Amino acid sequence: MREQREFTKKSGNWMEREARLAYFLLAPAIILIGGLILAPVTGTLFRSFYRDVTFLPPVKFIGLLNYKHLLTDVNFLQSIRFTVLFTLVAVFLETVIGLFFALVINEEFKLRGLMRAIVLIPWAIPTIISAKTWFLLYNYNYGLFNFLITKLHLSAKPINWLGTSYSAFFSIVMADVWKTAPFMAILFLAGLQSISKELYEAAEVDGASLTSQFTRITLPLLRPVLTIALIFRTIDSLRIFDLIYVLTGGGPGGATTSVSMYGFKLYILGDFGYGSTVSVVTFILVLLFTLIYLRFGRFGESL
Amino acid sequence: MTDKKKKQLFAWFGSLMVAFICLTPFIWMIVVSFAKYPDFLASENIPYVFTLGNYVQVLTSKDLHVLDYFKNSLITAFVVVIATVIIASLAGYAVSRIRFKGKQAIILGILAVSMFPQVAVVGYLFELMAKIGWINTYYALIFPYIAWVLPLSLWILISYFMQLPKDLDEAAMIDGASRLQVLAKVIVPVAAPGIFSTALLTFISSFNEFMFALLLTTDYHTRTIPVGIALFEGLHGEIPWGQIMATSVIAALPLVIMTLIFQRYIVQGLTAGALKG
Repeated sequence: MREQREFTKKSGNWMEREARLAYFLLAPAIILIGGLILAPVTGTLFRSFYRDVTFLPPVKFIGLLNYKHLLTDVNFLQSIRFTVLFTLVAVFLETVIGLFFALVINEEFKLRGLMRAIVLIPWAIPTIISAKTWFLLYNYNYGLFNFLITKLHLSAKPINWLGTSYSAFFSIVMADVWKTAPFMAILFLAGLQSISKELYEAAEVDGASLTSQFTRITLPLLRPVLTIALIFRTIDSLRIFDLIYVLTGGGPGGATTSVSMYGFKLYILGDFGYGSTVSVVTFILVLLFTLIYLRFGRFGESL
Repeated sequence: MTDKKKKQLFAWFGSLMVAFICLTPFIWMIVVSFAKYPDFLASENIPYVFTLGNYVQVLTSKDLHVLDYFKNSLITAFVVVIATVIIASLAGYAVSRIRFKGKQAIILGILAVSMFPQVAVVGYLFELMAKIGWINTYYALIFPYIAWVLPLSLWILISYFMQLPKDLDEAAMIDGASRLQVLAKVIVPVAAPGIFSTALLTFISSFNEFMFALLLTTDYHTRTIPVGIALFEGLHGEIPWGQIMATSVIAALPLVIMTLIFQRYIVQGLTAGALKG
């Protein structure tokens, strides 16, 4: 009896010591994330209830007035519309093209190793650098795209790629898809490789066509990977900033200003209160989309 | 046509398209970086003249500060990688091996943090850095970067550590090793590939970071490559495309080569971070 009690006491102490060690090991990470991310985000949340404009002191608590202002702020509504539309179109195209890339580099053929390397190149180039390159490709007078289009007589006049709200939208989508489809392709490739070859062999024996093998085996088994890739890319697209900063600066006329961009511009103008409100909404938007995916992707089942 | 032939056709035709899409902008960047007249497509009268001049100007001009931006990016990225790998290994070991209260909350917290938009952090960060006088210092980049990349690094390392059998730890502990000794002498060597992928991905994301650097640096003493390229101004007014593209090639090429050499580790890291979560 006594021995047993001493044993539990001892193992209790041991477990306490272990837990203390765990907190100790976690401390640097928690302090850094807490101090430099959680605290600023909490600060931003509080600040969104204040009127805080650098040039118009004093700082004043105004409750939900900033949030009320959002509803009638044309610029904000435009930025929400742009961000959501951009995310839907870009993520859809990335998924389709990424899947195409993945199917190509999953085939067994001579150039497979080389192709797998090539696919990674857009991913490896820093966003700002690829954005600058695309900016040059879109140049009205000496960009490659307008050169090819006029040489091949696809259009009588050069296209003003970044100058109108429609063309700027698609120009940003194209540049973004180019940069991010490889990421999708890498995830999808991992998914494809985990599908057992026997399934395809059996389907072949049964005389199933390649198309029906794709729709009946590949797509359903790829679904968990698809859901996760969609979540990752959607979260990223809703926060888009770098690419737009270089390509259009949010223009023309604010047509391509994402919510992140709008919040950032408000900070630069010195309106920290309202800028914080826009930032909080950006986060809520990300959260909302994630929850929708988790619900409809039946992600919970795979956890 | 047999299915096998169809597949081969798909692979070759598809490869052509994939290569065309992926390589065109990259090749264009290189082509313009060697052009004496970067607007050579504007009319037939402007020829394409090959020159190394853009590279020479970019690497030797004291006023363009390209080498300064480089130095800043590299110093920041290296410090961030080393600190992040150490901090994430310690934390990842605790989460994957030790039972303690609040573990679930911590894992969920990491997930939640990786959803925050940078814009919700940057305003306050700016004020904090201004208050302690760190604006335009390496500290203003290094500390926020570590915090920003930690969730992903932790995620990758936890998934690696989880795959290692617990017998490894137990055997060493029966021999009298402490937890920290186990981590340093058993886990880290076995998990080296995972740690290496984490280091690579951390390096790339810190080298690429833009919004924090844009707001927290003010001149060439700390400005990093992405900000330098985004705000690139020529010395003579016009957009100096030749120089911008030369700088871009100098910055992108090492990353591209590194990615190709360590392809396996990068792919492992990306899929571990995304899929095994």
